[in-house]
Amino acid sequence: MIFYKCLKCEKKWQYPINICPFCFSVLERVKTTKNKVIASSKVAIPSLLHPKAPYYALVLEDEQGVKSAYKSMEEKKIGDDVSFEQNMDKNAVAVWKMNYDILDGIEMIVSLLGGFNLTAKSRVLVLPTLISPVHNYFRDNTSVEFLSAILDFLHINNVKDIKIATQSFDDFTIEVLAQKTGLLDVCLKNKIVPFDLSKGDFIKKGKIEISKEIENADLILNLSVLKGGKGSSTENIFKLVKKENYLALRYLYNEEEIVQQIKDIKNVISIGEAISPQRIDKFSVFRNLIFASRNPVNLDAVFNATGLIQQLPKYLRDINIADIPIAGRSILEVQRNIDIVL
Amino acid sequence: MYIKGVGMTKFDYSTRYWWDFAYEAAIEALQDASMSIEKIDAIVFVSMSSAAGGEHQTHKVSFLSDLFKVNVPIIELTSVCGGGGVAFWTALKMKGFKNILVLAAERFADNKSEVVTDWILSAAERVFEQSEGMLFPTQNALIWQMYMKKYGATMDDLSLIAFKNHQHAALNPKAYFYKKPLELEKIKNSPEVSSPLRLMDCSLSVNGGAAVIISEEETDIEVIGSGFATDYILTFGREDITHFKATRLAAKDAYNQAGITAKDIDIAEVHDAFTSVELISYEDLGFADEGCGAELIRSGKINLGGKMPINVSGGLKAKGHPISATGLAQIYEIVHQLRGDCNDRQVKNAKIGLTHNIGGAGGSVTVHILKKIN
Repeated sequence: MIFYKCLKCEKKWQYPINICPFCFSVLERVKTTKNKVIASSKVAIPSLLHPKAPYYALVLEDEQGVKSAYKSMEEKKIGDDVSFEQNMDKNAVAVWKMNYDILDGIEMIVSLLGGFNLTAKSRVLVLPTLISPVHNYFRDNTSVEFLSAILDFLHINNVKDIKIATQSFDDFTIEVLAQKTGLLDVCLKNKIVPFDLSKGDFIKKGKIEISKEIENADLILNLSVLKGGKGSSTENIFKLVKKENYLALRYLYNEEEIVQQIKDIKNVISIGEAISPQRIDKFSVFRNLIFASRNPVNLDAVFNATGLIQQLPKYLRDINIADIPIAGRSILEVQRNIDIVL
Repeated sequence: MYIKGVGMTKFDYSTRYWWDFAYEAAIEALQDASMSIEKIDAIVFVSMSSAAGGEHQTHKVSFLSDLFKVNVPIIELTSVCGGGGVAFWTALKMKGFKNILVLAAERFADNKSEVVTDWILSAAERVFEQSEGMLFPTQNALIWQMYMKKYGATMDDLSLIAFKNHQHAALNPKAYFYKKPLELEKIKNSPEVSSPLRLMDCSLSVNGGAAVIISEEETDIEVIGSGFATDYILTFGREDITHFKATRLAAKDAYNQAGITAKDIDIAEVHDAFTSVELISYEDLGFADEGCGAELIRSGKINLGGKMPINVSGGLKAKGHPISATGLAQIYEIVHQLRGDCNDRQVKNAKIGLTHNIGGAGGSVTVHILKKIN
């Protein structure tokens, strides 16, 4: 749990505001870790946001006395602790429902996967989703807020060597895409010049030619923008592959075979942004979820399962969700049919 | 300020258009005031339904201008279940107008329960509470659970409240449960919605409209107190979860303005969105000491025929709760009670009445005190 405290007035907020309106002091971010159940109600009626009933609506209290609401599919008793175990399994998917602080969501999802062991010497390659020259609200590309929070997270962890890179598979240049989406401003504000991977070297690994940048990075953060009916995390990793090679692979092989080639690239962690993900019809739906995994295919499968999306690429359809280890929130806790308009 | 006329539709599940509820209530209020629409020099309208439903009309001020063929200032606002009270409070604060029509209409029960629940749920905070399963019955179930633990009241106390309000509604021709009293055992045995609250602890989401005309000109009913206060939308982030601070603040203001105390109230319409809310509000309004609300319902003093009857209209519980129209319907009831024309459900010698209207889970509250002028 996180809250924001004015050290002068002692007032607390659960919204990520910076300035106290009473004394104008800068607020401090306070994180708590222990949550106890202080009240529990078994909810028997289904609703659009919570189609599966019964479930348990809990009131939790942390060690600072801050209370919050929490949904659980399992019965909890008053006095029970609510905590989250880390899962470092390479196939595990971390699922988290964010509050209004995206940085907090990123910190939580990273922690659920066991942390990244980042140091001042770590070299991090950030691979945003940058596919169409449209404003943020279309939810096609990594959002300004999400990229900013990722960079804040890396700075907090003292990472100095950050490269933001991707490539375009169509006629728009990376510069045009970055400018239109606002991501260029985020990069420049952080004194980072976005790098076009197509202008760098590629190395051959089996059937694929992949950017040499993967050898220069200790960690590759694949920032996917999750979309209903798609394998958004998996597809974004294709951006590490040389464009001509990718197009040739698409011509020669089916999708499953290509996915097999790229899904095990080492040191890649996919972080899926699902604040307002697109449905199959491209309308977006407010979800405020975040996902992470070392296995992008599993991440995509779990995200689609949380939206009860049936129409999927074959490589996702074949996955048995029950076999995927989940850290954080259970799929049922956050699941609802996103085709129903609220 | 004075009340010149009141009107309301029957509360039910009819699927008339939203404006039809508004029109019927307004015409009754105008006829009650013996004035034509030309004498109204401003309208305050309140609703939350038609933006959510299929009619999707968010410029209702212009629609109402057309409907009534007037060009006066029309203000539209919303404060969910507390909207009627907030609209009335707003109208009382408006300067320079002789006669103001305060109007509410909702066609809210207009889809499957899941959809209606979701519309109502939009009155709660989305990220921290709605998405964590906090339906309104759930929020209030958790509040009640903590209240019971702290003060030792029981579910049987809530059954008595539901029973009382259903008995009252059976006498009110405009209530949904008119001539349909409910047995106590049926209330006690109704299915659990969100533990420990049962179906019969919840109010009835219905459709309807209500209207009140306030005037500078002296009439038989004077508004002698008007209080309005708000509280945090994060229900569990409040200082005291077991009570509604906004009710206490609004009541304090209203009593101070009126120069009276809770002991002077002869009759009250209390916001019983859930039976637990009514019981907690006895204490917040000063009708009972803290932790002693249960004693009040057990005593029978607040039943029709008791010392200070509460929710003689049937309340939200059994008259019905058409969201924004509720606050004005409460005023409708008190005005008729003070005038002495409520037939079977008439409270004898009622001189001072109170209305208490809550938005959300205690997030916006108004308290109004009306007095009969001899």
